[in-house]
Amino acid sequence: MKSTPKSTMQAGALAMLILRVLRSGPLHGYAIAQRIHVLSKEVLEVEEGSLYPALQKILLKGWASAEWGISETNRKVRFYRLTAAGRKQLEAELEDYDRLTEAIKAVLRTA
Amino acid sequence: MGEMWRRVWYLLNRRRMQESLREEMEFHREMAERAGAERRMFGNADALGEQAREAWGWTWIDRLAQDIRFGVRTLMRSPGFTLAAVLVLAVGIGVNVAAFGVFNMFVLKPLPVRDPDTLVRLQRSAPGSFASNVAYPSIEFYRNHAKTLSAVLASTDREVVLENESKLVRTRFVTGNFFRELGAETGIGRAIDAQRDERKGAEPVVMLSHTFWEERYGSDPAVVGSVVHLNHKAATVIGVAPRNFSGLGLPREPAFWVPLVQQPYFVEGSTVLTDTSLGGMVDLWARLRKGVSPKAAEQELTALTNDLRRQSPDSVWKDERIVSSPGGYLQTVRKDDVPMISLVAVLVLLILTVACSNLGGLLLARGVTRGHEISIRFALGASRGRIVRQLFTESLLLAAMSAVAGMGLGYVCLKAFLAKVDAAPWLDPAPDWRVAAFAGGVGLVAAIVFGLAPALQLTAKRKSGTRARQVLVMAQIAASCVLLIVAGLLVRALRYAMSTDPGYDYEHVLVVDPDLAVHGYSAAAAKSYLDVVQARLRQLPGVTSVGLTSMAPLGHKNVTAMVGYRFSIYMSRVEPGFFETMGIARLSGRDVQRGDTDEVVVSESLTRQMWPGEAPLGKQFLLEPSDPTSRKFTVMGVVANARTMSMHDPDATEMYQMSDDASLPHMVVLVRTQGRPEDIAAGARAIAAGVDAGLFPNVRLLSDAFHDEVGTVEKGATIASLMGGSAVLLAAIGLVGLVAYAVSQKTKEIAIRLALGAKKTHVIAAMLQQFVGPVALGLIAGAGLAAAASQLLRRILYGVSGLDPLSYAGAIGLLAAIAALAAIWPARKALRIDPMQVLRHE
Repeated sequence: MKSTPKSTMQAGALAMLILRVLRSGPLHGYAIAQRIHVLSKEVLEVEEGSLYPALQKILLKGWASAEWGISETNRKVRFYRLTAAGRKQLEAELEDYDRLTEAIKAVLRTA
Repeated sequence: MGEMWRRVWYLLNRRRMQESLREEMEFHREMAERAGAERRMFGNADALGEQAREAWGWTWIDRLAQDIRFGVRTLMRSPGFTLAAVLVLAVGIGVNVAAFGVFNMFVLKPLPVRDPDTLVRLQRSAPGSFASNVAYPSIEFYRNHAKTLSAVLASTDREVVLENESKLVRTRFVTGNFFRELGAETGIGRAIDAQRDERKGAEPVVMLSHTFWEERYGSDPAVVGSVVHLNHKAATVIGVAPRNFSGLGLPREPAFWVPLVQQPYFVEGSTVLTDTSLGGMVDLWARLRKGVSPKAAEQELTALTNDLRRQSPDSVWKDERIVSSPGGYLQTVRKDDVPMISLVAVLVLLILTVACSNLGGLLLARGVTRGHEISIRFALGASRGRIVRQLFTESLLLAAMSAVAGMGLGYVCLKAFLAKVDAAPWLDPAPDWRVAAFAGGVGLVAAIVFGLAPALQLTAKRKSGTRARQVLVMAQIAASCVLLIVAGLLVRALRYAMSTDPGYDYEHVLVVDPDLAVHGYSAAAAKSYLDVVQARLRQLPGVTSVGLTSMAPLGHKNVTAMVGYRFSIYMSRVEPGFFETMGIARLSGRDVQRGDTDEVVVSESLTRQMWPGEAPLGKQFLLEPSDPTSRKFTVMGVVANARTMSMHDPDATEMYQMSDDASLPHMVVLVRTQGRPEDIAAGARAIAAGVDAGLFPNVRLLSDAFHDEVGTVEKGATIASLMGGSAVLLAAIGLVGLVAYAVSQKTKEIAIRLALGAKKTHVIAAMLQQFVGPVALGLIAGAGLAAAASQLLRRILYGVSGLDPLSYAGAIGLLAAIAALAAIWPARKALRIDPMQVLRHE
């Protein structure tokens, strides 16, 4: 089973991934984990134990709002929706991330 | 800010949010199970939920609640222990709360007046001189010219004769704006009012204080509008001051409030409104204009004082300044008060120390019976931190209960104290937020002191119960030792004050104060009055001599003390016959004489301070040593030391000058009798009043004043003895407990030793040996601390030698005896053990 132990995935990185998958529309918790799993070509596995603390933090920060909706299996479930603040946060983090990876790549190329 | 708000919202809706999260995670799990071809590991659902909730940042509240619930259950399971612990600690905290309560009431709490923070008290100060009050003409000048002040309030105290009343009653003369400025116009009837009562030809009016209205008039509202006679002058009662009206923290509540401008009507010949000499002085307060600092007001007033000096140079000192102090409080802390305050603080903290070490011992003893529980919890995987936290939570619970009980105890003590000293009704001992915060703080500190150490010790891998017990014993002995020694010193000081001679014969002297200056007497008029009164007093049967002085002994009058020397010099103006009347022995030289100007008589103590080892007669000294042009005095006579001004100053550095014109109207007549001075008091009053019917002379016994003075020490000594006594009681209980516990721990060992044929005395000696060292160390430390504290005491009390052997030996002996008894009692119990029974039981 190819799963990244949660300890290796930083809480900050997980938050960024969550914000990123929420950009295309509201999702519930399970769907968020699924989407990350699929989009990462099944490399990243997000477990409950790390997903929900991250979601709570995002809610507290005001980067996403939660509302009750009906799931595809016809159950009441909470959907997370990106807020304007969350969008801004995502932009900032992506920019930071790009700069960092560019810098690392540059070092790797030349050193 | 949004995030903080959301967190709080989560806290408030915790139940609901928790439920939602649980549902959500359950859904997640179902979906995962349905989708997962492979069976995935799910963690403990509750643990996962808690992990997620941790992001909200409130889990500590849940844990705390859990700890508290557990702590309450534990304490309820042993109610005896809980009660004992709370009682012991409540005494320790209560003593502190009561002491802080006094400080709070006098210094921190504003008086119940409107806007206390913009009120300032104003006083005069110049190099070498200080006066607590100001002449009325100057006050008017300030009122008319000061721009930093929005109002000027003045008041002055007098005792007057009230119809059908044998004693003089206290009357406060105040400016018309007094009640309005202090926000106290809402009594019964109306208050004194500037517009109505200060204009020319206004009808004479008086207001009653609430207490006097209750006591003398039985709270009868019909008194408003009636006519009373003060000093035989009729006046209309216009109203009653509100119950909680404090005036401006005046020492004792007056019976009457009267407009200051009407004083000349009530006090015949009074020149208070025009007098600029030191005799006609009035207390001055002011209200600062909005945004003006006291410093700015001081500057403006000092500038105005310079203008005044140009107008009337005689009434203003050279380089005089006006200094301000907070006026909306009963008392401000002066530098002189610091030693006394620190001493009391140290003493009450020592009692807390004894209570804490006592409780520490209790907890430690109990901890061993809890050792089983603690080891189970360790075995179940609890961390040491977690267990310490739990134990400490219990201590905090105990401390919280004790703080509440201590606050109650402190309140009861203060209330009893205020009732005993007959305090004004507006003095409210009820604990306010400051007292509550203080009690909480003391409780917290106490919990750390008595709770944390035993908690750490109980959970330590290597247990050293003996060491902890020894430290506790030492702390208790040391703290009790200090308390006992200080109590002993205070009691000795009282003995000294009561038994030793203050330097004069206070038992046979009567003081007749005609208050001539207040009635506007000139020097010549005063002289003829005093001559007639003295002559008539001499003819009273039993009178052996009559004398005059400007400063009534122990009268708490304005004392002019010279500064610039290492010591203060108490100055008074006297006439020949003063020393004889007071019974102060002349040691060398001559008495004061008519015609003396710079020739003075001084006390022996002054000569010893000024010219140690030299013959003082003929010596000269300057009024201000730093200023060579200042007045120079010549010593013509030396008299024995007499503490007539300040009983508190062990060095009676007094200087006596012949009376002059300025001092004559301030003279007080002293009468020395053969028998009891009480017997001639009425006759003396009749003589003093008979010469001028407009005077209402105050006649009192010098012994009363002396006992009042000593009474302060007596109160201090009583409180100190009580504190020392309670400390000893606490220490005794604690020691007995600790030793008994130590012996009970070793019951088996004792039994084995006895079974093997050891001598009983040897076994006991071995048991007790571990406490000999700590007790000795505690006694040494305590004696050392007390020696340091007695330096402080010396500054406050008279006659206390720093190292009074009796106090030290007494305290050390008593504590050693208590420690020995505390040890012997449980030891004897241990000896009655039947070794076989103990061993079989094991």
